[in-house]
Amino acid sequence: MTPKNNIVIGIIIALLVVASYNVDANPVEFVEGLPNLAIVIEEMLVVEPKYIPTAIWAMFETIQMAFIGTVVGVAIALPLSMLAARNLNNKYVYAPIRALLAAIRTFPSILWAILFVIMVGLGPFAGVLAIIMYTIGFVAKLQYEAIETIDSDPMDAVSSIGVSKWQLIRYVVIPESASHLLSQMLYMFDYNVRQTSILGLVGAGGIGFYIINYIKFFEYGKAAVFMLIVLITVLIIDWVSVKIRDKYIIKSQHGMEVATQ
Amino acid sequence: MKQIQMTKNSSFSLISTKKIIQMNDVWTSYDSKNFALEGINMSIDRGTNYAIVGQSGSGKSTLLKLLNGMMIPSKGTIKVDYVTPNMNDKKFKKMMHTIGYIPQSLGLIKNVTVIENILIGALPRLNKIQSMFKKFPENEIKEAKRILKLVGLSGKENRKAYMLSGGEKRRVAIARALMQKPTILLADEIVSELDHVTAREIMDLIADAQKRMNLTAIMVHHDMQLALEYANRVAVIKDGQKILEIGVEGDTIVDFQTGNMTTEEIKEMYANDSQK
Repeated sequence: MTPKNNIVIGIIIALLVVASYNVDANPVEFVEGLPNLAIVIEEMLVVEPKYIPTAIWAMFETIQMAFIGTVVGVAIALPLSMLAARNLNNKYVYAPIRALLAAIRTFPSILWAILFVIMVGLGPFAGVLAIIMYTIGFVAKLQYEAIETIDSDPMDAVSSIGVSKWQLIRYVVIPESASHLLSQMLYMFDYNVRQTSILGLVGAGGIGFYIINYIKFFEYGKAAVFMLIVLITVLIIDWVSVKIRDKYIIKSQHGMEVATQ
Repeated sequence: MKQIQMTKNSSFSLISTKKIIQMNDVWTSYDSKNFALEGINMSIDRGTNYAIVGQSGSGKSTLLKLLNGMMIPSKGTIKVDYVTPNMNDKKFKKMMHTIGYIPQSLGLIKNVTVIENILIGALPRLNKIQSMFKKFPENEIKEAKRILKLVGLSGKENRKAYMLSGGEKRRVAIARALMQKPTILLADEIVSELDHVTAREIMDLIADAQKRMNLTAIMVHHDMQLALEYANRVAVIKDGQKILEIGVEGDTIVDFQTGNMTTEEIKEMYANDSQK
């Protein structure tokens, strides 16, 4: 440990103490609150199986919301990412598009959900709109970054043939960045399922709507059923994503032959 | 079918006198400080197999990029078929499809099939909207299959490009260039990483296509021996300058740059060079 390191560690500890004081982070309260957690867990363990069908149906609605949000969001994000890529456009095109995408990303999905609840009323549609906005902001950014890292040689070779810009996009940019896009779609769907589970908190439909209401009325056993279904679904989606990623993305990115069996 | 043979295309009399490429005192740089090419003069007849030889960093690839309009010179004039190459110029854009360009890395689209890679060469001829849906006319598909056969890749049309061997990838890149129905073929060290046998197979393929289509081939090489074997003319580039231009006829090597060097002197120079 050098004296310089000691000073850095000292500063970090001091900042931690000050910040904790400012946000009323009191470890004593945490310890005192542990028995309350025990009560909640105890009540949650009294699972009420008769709510499982309702929970599955609510989860199904959540998945559908996430699915629509992801597909529509990606469909809108894709052309925007083409316009935001610096290697395809001049700054008068990409700069305003990037600014727009940055503005969209500024709001988390829950704020978009509140906005759309005000606009279109309570229910899943507001949630879907929120997911679409969030997906546009993130997928467009990840995709234009992927486009900018495409190997310039195929671009140069095909550009030198005298093709149009849209032909270049169709025949080089899309195939060369397709594996990134598929990867981002899977990640976004996975993320959107989890996000949609929360959007119910502000009345934007999905399974979160049930969870927040049961918690509000201290019915932890019922809430636990719904939370368990969310957990199982997220694990399944994660497992399927890994399988798809292994089969179609990792291998093609490393230039290995994709299994055809 | 005509057999592909390894031939030394040496007959000067076959070459038309019409100049297809002219470079006058061409200078270019990447950073406006150091020149990649300095005062290049070059005049290439239609139908020539022209080789550009030099060590890494000598400016060979830059020279090709000037010819297909990807770079523009800082000074001097270039004419390709009487048009100044510049990708942003409308007149040149119209003739870009007649220039086949194969970069050193080949520039294939790795995640699409061999036939799709080849059909890209036909894109400038196609209806823009139709091509957005990857709808290719029957005659273009037929032509792509004919070229596929010519380059010895029949039966592999539906393989993804990344599944191919190094030699096969080069054949696809050549096929894509031929699909353009070019008058000029620019190839940047496309055989430098191949073994002796495969390199000559690829060179034979280009020599054969050149004869069939009356192409002007301008090929960058690392290997002087290979250049002398296949080219009518060889330009040697060193540190951005053309230090020698020689013509090859049979066993005779003619100094076109100064006219002073004898065949023996040139051969001796390259024997010394290769020992370095």
